[in-house]
Amino acid sequence: MTAPIYEVRNISKKYGAVTALDDVTMQLYPGEVVGLVGDNGAGKSTLVKCLSGVHQPTSGTILLEGQERHWKSPHEALEQGIETLYQDSGLAPHLSVAANVFLGREETVPGILGKMGFLAQKKMDVEAHQELDRVGIAVPQSNRSVSQLSGGQRQAVAIGRAVAWAKKVIILDEPTNHLGARQAGEVLQIIKTAREQGLGVIFISHTLPHVMEVTDRIVVLRLGKVVKDAPTSEFTVETLLGTITGLITD
Amino acid sequence: MSVTASAAPSKLKSFVSNQQFILFLVLLGMIGIFTAFNRIFFSVGVAGNVLADWGPLVLVALAETFVIVSGGIDLSVGSVCTLSGVVGAFAIRALTESGMAPYLTLFIGALVCIGVGCIAGVINTLLINYAKLVPFIATLVTLGAAAGLALVFTGGGPIAGGPSQAIQLSVPWLGPISTPIIIVIVICFICWAFLHKSRFGRHTYSLGSNPFATRAAGISIAKQTAKIYILSGALAGAAGMFFYLRLGSGAPSSGLGLELYAIAAVVIGGASLSGGSGRITGTVLGALILTTVTSGLIIVGVDPNWKQVVVAILIAAAVTIQGLRRSEGKAS
Amino acid sequence: MFGLSNMKRSTAGLVAVAGATSLLLAACSSSDTTASESSNAAGGACQGKTIAFVMGAVADPFFNAMKVGAQEEATAQGATLVWQGDKEYSAATQIPVLDQVLATNPSGLVLIPTDPVALQAGFEKAVAAGIPSALVDTKVNDISKAVTFITGDNTDGGTKAADAIATAIGYEDGKTYKVVVGLTSKTATTNVARLEGFQKAIAANYPGITIEDIAYSESNSAKANTNVNNWLTKYPDLSGIFAIDGTNATGAAAALQAKGLTGKVALVGYDAYPDNVKLITDGVFTALIAQDPAAEAKQAIQSICTTIGGGTVTTKEVVIPNVVLDKNTSAADLTKYTYVA
Repeated sequence: MTAPIYEVRNISKKYGAVTALDDVTMQLYPGEVVGLVGDNGAGKSTLVKCLSGVHQPTSGTILLEGQERHWKSPHEALEQGIETLYQDSGLAPHLSVAANVFLGREETVPGILGKMGFLAQKKMDVEAHQELDRVGIAVPQSNRSVSQLSGGQRQAVAIGRAVAWAKKVIILDEPTNHLGARQAGEVLQIIKTAREQGLGVIFISHTLPHVMEVTDRIVVLRLGKVVKDAPTSEFTVETLLGTITGLITD
Repeated sequence: MSVTASAAPSKLKSFVSNQQFILFLVLLGMIGIFTAFNRIFFSVGVAGNVLADWGPLVLVALAETFVIVSGGIDLSVGSVCTLSGVVGAFAIRALTESGMAPYLTLFIGALVCIGVGCIAGVINTLLINYAKLVPFIATLVTLGAAAGLALVFTGGGPIAGGPSQAIQLSVPWLGPISTPIIIVIVICFICWAFLHKSRFGRHTYSLGSNPFATRAAGISIAKQTAKIYILSGALAGAAGMFFYLRLGSGAPSSGLGLELYAIAAVVIGGASLSGGSGRITGTVLGALILTTVTSGLIIVGVDPNWKQVVVAILIAAAVTIQGLRRSEGKAS
Repeated sequence: MFGLSNMKRSTAGLVAVAGATSLLLAACSSSDTTASESSNAAGGACQGKTIAFVMGAVADPFFNAMKVGAQEEATAQGATLVWQGDKEYSAATQIPVLDQVLATNPSGLVLIPTDPVALQAGFEKAVAAGIPSALVDTKVNDISKAVTFITGDNTDGGTKAADAIATAIGYEDGKTYKVVVGLTSKTATTNVARLEGFQKAIAANYPGITIEDIAYSESNSAKANTNVNNWLTKYPDLSGIFAIDGTNATGAAAALQAKGLTGKVALVGYDAYPDNVKLITDGVFTALIAQDPAAEAKQAIQSICTTIGGGTVTTKEVVIPNVVLDKNTSAADLTKYTYVA
């Protein structure tokens, strides 16, 4: 088996007297989708924030491709190829699809105007279209404003954006929330496309059938600790639920 | 997965339903009405008067456009305009007394005005980014401080003593257009380019549209906020210099209440105070409509206090149109 | 001077610090009072007393000139002067200032009411609290309880302005002339009186002159400038402008200079702002009507001190005449009547 692409070893996170994460260890391999599940308050959000560079763990180490990392900001993690789609952070609705895809990574025209920050808009429109297409999202017009899209379409663009930019790891926090069955199915399809491209995917969700459908392995958090880390094939929806709620223990 | 957007509206339809086009029609309508009451309204002289008022107003309205698009508000632009005009006037007086050439003096005076504006912008930034005040409160603090300082420095009277070329510069020579107005038009174009065509403008929109998504995209909100409020201060400072050239002195009352008309111009221009939308062309037309009303009411001979009523109606109409278009957008 | 600069600074955060400021001022001016112990009899009555002066707007050299007079007289009488006002000439901001000042319970009050109706109640509150109160410059509608009301003769100032314009345009019977008037506010009693004097004099003596329009600047020279710019376009044959106060004078002067109409349109201004006085010699102003704000303030404080000392002030209304400054005025007089910047 290859080496993990992203890994946390024995990390803990304390907020004052409260321990949100307690000695958590997990690995993510390239071309793998890991489901991260747990009840509310189990520590999923805290773990995601540590993985994406928003928070620094109180103790423990984070390794990207075997190298120890101390993220000072989400921007730093982003630059190293870790894309995070936060729950509800979404897109800028007033901007076009292309502007959202390239947000924070705008391409400028060549020459002095480019140095002043003037944008190569047509180029970005074309490239956004191609990139979304590559990850399985067909956008007829990438210069349309996101506010004109439906909720499902927006989520597709948001995930497409994350997948298109992710070089190594993609973290998706509740990407199928508020989506209808057909749209959720399409989102899961995009996740599978990302896996085929060799990305490591962390998929956080409350919707257990989605987790069962798309993941290769499931990490269950409970009260800040990893209580189970096993291939998806070892779970059924019932045993997974039992593990999350603490009714089933090994 | 396919993002199926409904067919794009025809170019003609989108042009006609465009807010700037409506504003342009309103402007033409007003010129028509005022001209019907008094033929002299349709003259180079009146156009010159309208533009002389438009200059400083549009400068602070441009400042306000960037801030409002970013989801903030800058209440300090009027008094920062006043303060920078006053400080610039002191500098101009001192340089004139030292025997410096008039135009160089005025140029340095303009730099002083813009510099004072930038300092005010830095203070707004510190209050927002570090003291964590909401922009409304932060800029209200600066408003009070700048207005107070302008009075303390001047003792209340206008500060003259500059070169006589100052007022002469405000004289229109290209039809109704004077040299300061040419500079203002160039500034409008530069603001348009930066807001609509540059990375800075793009991030300004995204900050106002969704600050969470903006931060998640790796954009520093603190830096972007700093750039926006410092630019706002610089433009307010430029407006202060404009007033100086017009009055031939730095008057401690010149920018009084200007922020409200600037916000009105931006809102009439189609921006939403909740951020993420607004166009430079809208602001430019919005400011032009407001100053047309001012001159129009005087030329027609109506009590100028009606201006406030007209402004209120324009704001109500602009916001209503915005609301209608938004609900239409959802339905499609 | 230390005391003065403190007062200026205090006006920005006025309401909150009014109490503290008066304490500070009391401390600052104690050294001044020792210097003037050998003052007149009235000084005995006011010795160590605090006289509050609630004025119109700090943004006006007219009031600065008044402050110099008030401070001189207060020092001479051995009293402490508390000078307070908002930056805007407005009843809405003046009423809370007045309330705050009354809460410090001064020995005497001099008030410049910004509105004759709105300030009536506050003024009567002062009288009811047993504080001898005088009015300066403008008045409230019912002045029966005031110690005295001292004002420049604004009606006469308006008359003098009409004469100055008529002279400047070379008025001849049978010809017609157009003039306009720039005001600050519809209700300020000085504005009203000056306009009245102007209108009456025009009607009585210069029937060929019509007042085509009036407009308000709201104490903003830029607005005054806009008004005059548009008048100059609307009335290409305009003969004269009466700028009824200092801010209007500044705005009108700039408009005439920018349109190259200096000397072609007669401009009579009011109030001897330093920069405007200079423009008399440049020919921008045909004439300036000047008041004597320092004299008004001095007389008000004298009357207050007389009342505190148990005396009676017999003249209810004192009118201090305005003077006309024009190119024939001597340099010494120009300096004397120029307001303090």
